Amino acid sequence: MNFNLTEEQELVRAGVREFCQKYVEPLAEKVDEEAYFPMETVKKLTEQEWTGIPYPAEYGGAGADYLTYIIVVEELSRACATTGFTLECHTSLASYPLYKFGTEEQKQKYLVPLCKGEMLGSFALTEPGAGTDAGAASTTAVLDGDEYVLNGSKMFISNSPVAGVFIIIAMTDKSKGTKGLSAFIVPGGTPGLKVGEHLNKMGIRGSVTAEVVMKDCRIPKENLLGNEGQGFKIAMMTLDGGRIGIAAQALGIAQAALDESIQYSKERVQFGKPISSFQAIQWMIANMATDVQAARFLTYHAAWCYDQGLPYSKEAAMAKLFASETAARQTNRAIQIHGGIGFIKGHKVERLYRDAKITEIYEGTSEVMRMVISGNLLR
Amino acid sequence: MLNIIACFKWVVDEADVKIDAKSRALLMERVGYKISDYDRNAIEEAVRLQEQHGGNVVAATVGPSTAKQCLKDALSRGPERADFINDPSFVDLEPEQTAAILATAIKAKEEYDLIICGEGSSDLYAQQVGPALAERLGIPCATCVNKLTLAESKKEIIAERKLDDGMEVVSMPLPALVTVLPDINTPRIPTLKQVLGAAKKPVDNITLNDLGQTYKPCLQTTGILAATMERRRLKFGADEKNILVIIGALLKEGVIA
Ligand SMILES: Cc1cc2nc3c(=O)[nH]c(=O)nc-3n(C[C@H](O)[C@H](O)[C@H](O)COP(=O)(O)OP(=O)(O)OC[C@H]3O[C@@H](n4cnc5c(N)ncnc54)[C@H](O)[C@@H]3O)c2cc1C
Repeated sequence: MNFNLTEEQELVRAGVREFCQKYVEPLAEKVDEEAYFPMETVKKLTEQEWTGIPYPAEYGGAGADYLTYIIVVEELSRACATTGFTLECHTSLASYPLYKFGTEEQKQKYLVPLCKGEMLGSFALTEPGAGTDAGAASTTAVLDGDEYVLNGSKMFISNSPVAGVFIIIAMTDKSKGTKGLSAFIVPGGTPGLKVGEHLNKMGIRGSVTAEVVMKDCRIPKENLLGNEGQGFKIAMMTLDGGRIGIAAQALGIAQAALDESIQYSKERVQFGKPISSFQAIQWMIANMATDVQAARFLTYHAAWCYDQGLPYSKEAAMAKLFASETAARQTNRAIQIHGGIGFIKGHKVERLYRDAKITEIYEGTSEVMRMVISGNLLR
Repeated sequence: MLNIIACFKWVVDEADVKIDAKSRALLMERVGYKISDYDRNAIEEAVRLQEQHGGNVVAATVGPSTAKQCLKDALSRGPERADFINDPSFVDLEPEQTAAILATAIKAKEEYDLIICGEGSSDLYAQQVGPALAERLGIPCATCVNKLTLAESKKEIIAERKLDDGMEVVSMPLPALVTVLPDINTPRIPTLKQVLGAAKKPVDNITLNDLGQTYKPCLQTTGILAATMERRRLKFGADEKNILVIIGALLKEGVIA
């Protein structure tokens, strides 16, 4: 057993920290306050070659391991959850299905520019009437000559207003239930594809989330990803990997809450002493740090399983479940430690508290994570 | 074509040093290490000049054998090769020892036009290694450099020095040595491929045995204690009368005279 990161992973972490100090932290408040999408940061992520970390160099990626990618998402999210999630959605949700199920031609055409950061990707599964019950999707794809015609609407689609390409899950054969779902590659700007308003969110406010509506949206037949009927499997496998990414996002947020709490509690003086000298505060800090460490081990272990080619669905679900609930619980504690000032806009813990919540919801809710874990154990 | 040697020191990350409040001892059990801050500027400047004029950059360091970790860090920042001059005894070396060790190794195996060092290290900031190394190599040296240009003849280097009482521009025939200030450039953050590629770059492992010499210290450290800052927790109002009280307090503490 070995708990050491490689020298490369340590160097990448140090690099991301420096990057965050220089470019991400200074923008984070604006990103939150103005729901501002930090395109300039995305450009810089590209320059650092962080937009295709776990994919091979032949597809424009860096050819590093998944754990390296996870560390990058963690550190970015520690400074700004919007930035961490934007990269996560791009890498795990949009690029992964192309890498895993794309033909060589599809990879060259779409995965290469995604990995090189020439465009961002988006993944559209959820619908107004089909969230957790993804199989209830009503978006349809009908083959008409050499083209598929897509109709329907997708809800809460991250990165959609800025995406160069979408992976869209649609029903090709309603009679087959989840086995009737298929995955499609839809380039941004395809006629009939309309992206709605940037939704006004509680947290990760700079991340652009919108409805995506398809009205007789025609794409060439060769844009089917995998085979007809494989859509549900593609979506579930994609989410399995993505959950490690969301765990990393949650971990970054929780770590930031801990960092802020340690610093503030040493500075804030009440009754003539720093509040860190009170046992009540000490215990909160001890609990926070222990949770964060446990979340980190679960998250890194899930990434390690991925890198080793071991099954990781259960591990990813455990990591996401624990890390997201840690983030939600510990950002709450962080505000408690800060007292009134923590409730005021412009203080980092106030933002962290709002940013944490979404990690318990997207890419599968905590309830779904418990279903996945118990499903693995009880079969 | 320039052959440049960038010297760097692997130091304790001061952010990780904790202090025992009672004894004022430095607690070092959990410290991390990094390339000394200004040495990153030295490496960056070497790489920048190489990109402009062609040539080679070698990153050279003197340290304990356990400092191997520093190599990928340095190499990910652009140099083609590293000289790892190491021995288990190379711990807490004095500037004079470091300079002497570097001089022996450089004389023995390197051809160079320019040597760039950081102005001082993040731990000791003695500002000695650069000038002492230049002295031992018998080459000219400019310290406190915040701008560096290669003369058109390519035989001289022009260095802008930031001094207490103004700027000074000097020109030195190559080979020469400069020590740089952090204003000289902004070190790039290595890209992912640079980090992953660092392991493939050659490292020359140079041991004490290879140097064929010993290097004696001349200083004796009697103790290291943390500096303390005590807050007086005095409160003042903002009116005219209080300004005098503040001045009185500052005088009493010896902050102003
Ligand atoms: C900011 C944001 C970004 C998003 N980005 C994307 C994206 O990029 N792409 C995408 O496809 N989707 C995206 N989503 C959608 C997200 O994945 C869904 O919101 C999530 O899966 C939950 O679906 P729902 O909102 O329809 O909730 P519902 O499914 O309606 O769930 C409501 C509640 O019921 C519970 N529940 C539902 N079914 C069960 C059950 N069988 N047993 C027990 N409890 C159950 C849920 O856990 C939850 O607590 C995003 C959502 C948000 C808010």
